[in-house]
Amino acid sequence: MLAGYETLITTIALGAILAYSFHVVLMAGQLSLGQAGFASLAAYTSTLVVPTEPIAGSISPVIVGLPVGALVGAAAAFVVGLPVLRLRGVFLAIATIAFGEMVRVLINNAEWTNGAIGVRVEKWVTFDFAWIIVAVLAYLFWRLGPSRSGRAFAAVREDELAAGSMGVDVVRTRMASFIASGAIAGVYGVLFAYFFGRITPATFDFSLTVNGLVTAVLGGYLVFFGPVLGAGFLTAVPEIQKALGLEAGWIHPLITGVLLLAVILFLPGGLSTLFSRLRRAPARPGPDYAPLDALDPLPDPGTRIAAVTGLAKSYGAVDAVRGVDLEIRSGEVLGIIGPNGAGKTTLVNMISGLEPPTAGEGEILGVPLGARPHRFAQAGVSRTFQHSKLFERLTVLDNVLVGTHVVSRSTYLRRLAWLPSARRDERRALALAWAQLERVGLADRAGLRPGALSYGDRRRLEIARALAAHPTLLILDEPAAGMNHVEAAELASLIRGLADDGVTVLFIEHNVKMVLEACTRLVVLDFGEVIAQGEPREVASDPRVIEAYLGTEAEAHEESEHV
Amino acid sequence: MLQQLANGVFAGAIYALFAIGFTLVFGVLRHLNLAHPAVFTAGAFVGIEIAARTAIPVWILLPVVALFGALAGVLVERVAFRPLRGRDDEHFAGLISSVALGGVIIALLQARYGTEPKSFAMDYFPQRLFEVAGIRVTLTQLVTLGLALVLMLGLAWLVSATSLGRSMRAVAENPTAAKVLGVNVGRVTAGTYALSSALGTVAGALLALNLGQAGRDLGASIELVGFAVIILGGLGSLWGAMAAGVVLGIAEALTIHLFDSTWKSMVAFALLFAVLVLRPRGLFGHVKVREV
Repeated sequence: MLAGYETLITTIALGAILAYSFHVVLMAGQLSLGQAGFASLAAYTSTLVVPTEPIAGSISPVIVGLPVGALVGAAAAFVVGLPVLRLRGVFLAIATIAFGEMVRVLINNAEWTNGAIGVRVEKWVTFDFAWIIVAVLAYLFWRLGPSRSGRAFAAVREDELAAGSMGVDVVRTRMASFIASGAIAGVYGVLFAYFFGRITPATFDFSLTVNGLVTAVLGGYLVFFGPVLGAGFLTAVPEIQKALGLEAGWIHPLITGVLLLAVILFLPGGLSTLFSRLRRAPARPGPDYAPLDALDPLPDPGTRIAAVTGLAKSYGAVDAVRGVDLEIRSGEVLGIIGPNGAGKTTLVNMISGLEPPTAGEGEILGVPLGARPHRFAQAGVSRTFQHSKLFERLTVLDNVLVGTHVVSRSTYLRRLAWLPSARRDERRALALAWAQLERVGLADRAGLRPGALSYGDRRRLEIARALAAHPTLLILDEPAAGMNHVEAAELASLIRGLADDGVTVLFIEHNVKMVLEACTRLVVLDFGEVIAQGEPREVASDPRVIEAYLGTEAEAHEESEHV
Repeated sequence: MLQQLANGVFAGAIYALFAIGFTLVFGVLRHLNLAHPAVFTAGAFVGIEIAARTAIPVWILLPVVALFGALAGVLVERVAFRPLRGRDDEHFAGLISSVALGGVIIALLQARYGTEPKSFAMDYFPQRLFEVAGIRVTLTQLVTLGLALVLMLGLAWLVSATSLGRSMRAVAENPTAAKVLGVNVGRVTAGTYALSSALGTVAGALLALNLGQAGRDLGASIELVGFAVIILGGLGSLWGAMAAGVVLGIAEALTIHLFDSTWKSMVAFALLFAVLVLRPRGLFGHVKVREV
């Protein structure tokens, strides 16, 4: 039945494998286009080092070639990744394209590769073999999606800063996706060589890169089977045209181009969008909330959890923060107020690792200032942002699940083997996430995307995500901004409730009434310096504070109350 | 040696013309328009056809080609970029939609012109040869260089001194603020694409005039060099792209002179790679990447 279609069917498989090497970097938000180079290096190396005859009489050279190719591809990706992964977006894309072209020119000019003529090998790959590889890859990605690592990939793709603040090691995640991409591209190169029986430098040129990228995006990189859909579509369209008797040479590329354009314009998630409507809305996990008790206890009230001295940050000639000394003790609710531009956000950015300080020393939960954000998160610092940084293409529930990153263990490898412990860990993360959604009152919106939420709900979602990390120190940057006074009052009682649970809260806020209600200690910043701190009511009546900040604000507040 | 340098300068002028269209769109709108090489190719074919049908002289031909290019540019923006505005995956999707549209344009060219390369008539443009200080230069090359200079200076003037240019710089700086302040962002976007594609088509026609013919892969052959030029020059920088085009042209010519033509593109990419890793803002880029 398959006779005559074997080449076609194998072409789809090869296209899908190539697309997976793009899929894995797109999943992590990296526009990396060096796959042609990795595939080329892998294919040439394996044809060189693997014997041409069956090994031990029966093992096909492909079986040996594949791991060699994967290894060469991964190693090359690692070596290239070290310098280029500092780049992002279009810059990363063009640097990796340049790498691919350099490989092509080198191979074209090298002796051992036989130059432009290329290398001939026996054809060992059959269509069933190629599809087994596709099945393996699809399985790997299927299991990756809803795992802790899969969520880390998605978080890095949607917002690197927020991902880092939730404890995801952004550098490592990007490198992991880059290496995986190199390995898969290597597998593709080897399969290509042993299927078509010939490789030349031109096999792995820029058009291969474009094909792979188009296939991956067309199929959809948010769903594990996207590459198979994309490859099927791109291979089938010309065949269907041929079957329909459309012969003119230009009609094929025209129709392919128009269809591709239509899919991209009208199906934002690629072809896989057609299938994702089938997904169920997330359901509340069963009553087994017991795992929540297994979380580490928070430090005793009054323990010193952070102490910094002489903290300063300058941007060129502008001193945003100057000589700030700050001590935070467990269980307190510390409010920071100050006029716009006083350095409040810069201060919390420094103590959560988002910006390195220019001067000053100290530790937050044992992590020295200047470390990368994920280290602070792992130590128990969790935060929200002044301008909410949500993972826009994840559901509300998945946003909060990313928050559990630092209190859960990696499940991917155990999920591959279907170990029950992985399932247990995932359910525990889910229970944690649900508990936070219920705490902030968003449980009924778990299946929506953040874009569908109101402004106040988005802020609540950010707080839920931060709480899912079971933080010792929770930092909220203007959590009540944009909330009406009912919502703000709810938020104030939520914050007091957190303090009762032993969470230390540091929050920046302009709503003075709310600050005075919620906090146990108040710090006032002006022009980057602490001008007053202590018991909230006392600080609020300090004449310097009134002059710098409260005076105008209080008047404004009275006026707004009269309206 | 001097001859090679001169050839490099001429090739570089074409690279620069091709690349400033690329970099203009990126600088103002943050779009990497991958349909640009196809529009470039279309410019060559359209130029050849109009020349064959009407026998109009080259200084009328090129403005006509530019007009065609401007229309094509507006179309590219309407079809491949505008529908994506505001989508989460705007950037990835824009790459793919412009690749797809580029494919459509090439297919349409094939429908009209077939698969064989097309040529200008032998006597369309005088085949004069000059010799200055031992360097041989054709009239076509001189005209190309002169035109490239005029067009680039014209574009620089347009961006710095006209109201469209001021709007373009405003949009490049902050599209939302520009809109709030009354800049018609839609029109600036269309105008940017029109300019970019007009330059691209003229570059295509000029390259065809130099080569004597054009094939469907004309744009693809220059696309990667175009990437190299815009990065070396500093993405979004017009002056940078002009300088980098000439630098690359000369570097390639020297490589051919010293090594072999098969190593030609190695120089471009090695340079590109090194610059990206060591100095991502480009050789000539200023601290602020997002300038026009």
